[in-house]
Amino acid sequence: MANENGTGVDTRDANGRSRNLANREENMQNDIQTSAASTPTSRVAANDRIDYDKIVVKPPTIGQRAYKYRYFYLMAIPVLIILLIFYYWPMLGIRYAFSQYTFREIATQTGPNYSDLFVNFKFLVTRSAFRYAFANTLILSIVKLLLSTVVTVVIALMMNEIAHQWGKKFVQTVLYLPHFLSWVVAASIFMLILSAGTSAAEGDLSNVGFVNSILIKLHILKAPVDFLTSTKHWRGVWYIMNLWKETGWGTIIYMAALAGISPDLYEAAEIDGANRFQQTIHITLPSLMNTILVVFILNLAKVMNVFESVFVLYNSLVYSVADVIQTYTYRVGIVGNDYGYSTAIGLFKSVISLILVTISNKVSEKIRGYGIV
Amino acid sequence: MTKKFNLFDPQYAARSWFIVFNSLFFILLMCVMIIPILKILSDSLVNETVYGLELWPKEFNLIAYKKIFTTESLIKPLGISVLTTLATTFFGLLISTLGAYVLIQKDMPGVKIFSTLLVFTMIFNGGLIPTFLVMKKIHLLNSLWAVILPMSMNVYNLVLMRSFFEQLPESLFEAAEIDGCTPMGIFYKIVLPLSKAALASIGLFFAVAAWSEYFHYVIYITSTDKYNFQYKLRDLFQDKQEADEGENINVNTLKSAAVIVSIVPFMFIYPFCQKYFMTGVTMGAVKE
Repeated sequence: MANENGTGVDTRDANGRSRNLANREENMQNDIQTSAASTPTSRVAANDRIDYDKIVVKPPTIGQRAYKYRYFYLMAIPVLIILLIFYYWPMLGIRYAFSQYTFREIATQTGPNYSDLFVNFKFLVTRSAFRYAFANTLILSIVKLLLSTVVTVVIALMMNEIAHQWGKKFVQTVLYLPHFLSWVVAASIFMLILSAGTSAAEGDLSNVGFVNSILIKLHILKAPVDFLTSTKHWRGVWYIMNLWKETGWGTIIYMAALAGISPDLYEAAEIDGANRFQQTIHITLPSLMNTILVVFILNLAKVMNVFESVFVLYNSLVYSVADVIQTYTYRVGIVGNDYGYSTAIGLFKSVISLILVTISNKVSEKIRGYGIV
Repeated sequence: MTKKFNLFDPQYAARSWFIVFNSLFFILLMCVMIIPILKILSDSLVNETVYGLELWPKEFNLIAYKKIFTTESLIKPLGISVLTTLATTFFGLLISTLGAYVLIQKDMPGVKIFSTLLVFTMIFNGGLIPTFLVMKKIHLLNSLWAVILPMSMNVYNLVLMRSFFEQLPESLFEAAEIDGCTPMGIFYKIVLPLSKAALASIGLFFAVAAWSEYFHYVIYITSTDKYNFQYKLRDLFQDKQEADEGENINVNTLKSAAVIVSIVPFMFIYPFCQKYFMTGVTMGAVKE
């Protein structure tokens, strides 16, 4: 009898054990009966039988179980080492958030100065650059989240209507493509096609980028606009870049959900006289609602994590609309060497993230029965 | 239901119009996705200052590509990119499979703690500066390990790998155990060979992430001979160097060519591996 813990006796729990043994006893009795029937001379006395109820099997102690799994601890070691060094050790560094730790302390090698525990948090409240960064983080990622949810769902619904299987596959392959470009590449492509050129002369399109050239040819613009240095346009460009890169990929999960809707529902609706549009509104969308909510919640938990897409596209001219918490942390900490203050900003961000994830987890548990982490 | 659908049948006029509209919509959408890349490709082949509206190069001039593959300061980052991508994929798969294999041992004392330790890092971390200071303390600054090791430890991929492993029938492990196979043997001879699809999926995730990595280089790497190609590409766009070395090469042509060089590897791999990429996503969605 095979079992997981290899002690030779099934010891999972009392109920399991007794059931198991009872079965075995029954089998044995059957054997005995059949053998007795076939060979009447066989000598099987009742007192030869083992009384299974008297056998006491002790569950293995934790030490025995640990010994049995000794190789697994060995396997866990490399994972644990990396986990502890790169994830848990830095958590100890959070204490710098409560200290003065700037280039002065670094230069004199005195280490962090804990004389005023809340010095950095006072900065947080008073510095307008931080307020901008916080507001931009929320605006950029929430608008992006709403936009991408709507656009992705609409595209997934329409993609689902493509009857031609090969055509559908082709469309999907093309739409997923930008996802595999890095943010650096995506930003580079946008910089090139959005370039305003260097020539000052009006009407000279000799080194004006693709988008500006089109807009001027269509008489929408008179002179090229440098979209990426204009506070008016930067956010729009950023939203478009995000949509361009991730929308196609985002449809995968909805396509999977759409494939799971029972065709019976559509058949029934058709018999009831619903047209395709009514079917979409009354069957497809409600069936998709769960997935939409879950994806939305998952992304809501990541609202504070907007970083690389901004970092590769922004520049000092658009800090007021583009600077987010993480880029600000980078500039203050790595460039400006103010370790204390930047750790405090990071802590602020992490705590908000933690709260968001906890809420999302609760909501997710409500919706689909299990959490996100 | 009963009558066969016909695009030109007046009975189905509304449906026909929708199909036409839908097709046009997707053709347009595909253009939006492809044209920027096509434009860059075309610009990379024309050594002129004019961008213009042409989507097809008038001449085929490979001077920019030649420059990328002959300039020491551009070919070296490409090598670093390849090296770190291979290393990250290898270590990433190693860590994920080991961790996932430990995680599926439900009876192992301490496995709950292990799993909590892993998952907690998904929701909370020390932050940029404390991590940077740890790197500094263990002398990994300006070492490629500072990029490879943190990228190899991706909890999301590890959890995904666990979901794959959980689908393997438990009776296989039991049978192997009875035959005297050690846990290492089971891992190597049963778990890994049966998870080829999972290894392909997650290996591709690691490879794409490593190839695209940029920020770790910004923070941890300081010497120019250890930057990867993404970093170099970004440098080109910030007009830092390379453009003016006496050759008659247009800056924008060089930039475009660098973009193309950076995206070509995965553009080639991706259509053939789409299946693997997608299993990973839907798995991640359905199970945790």
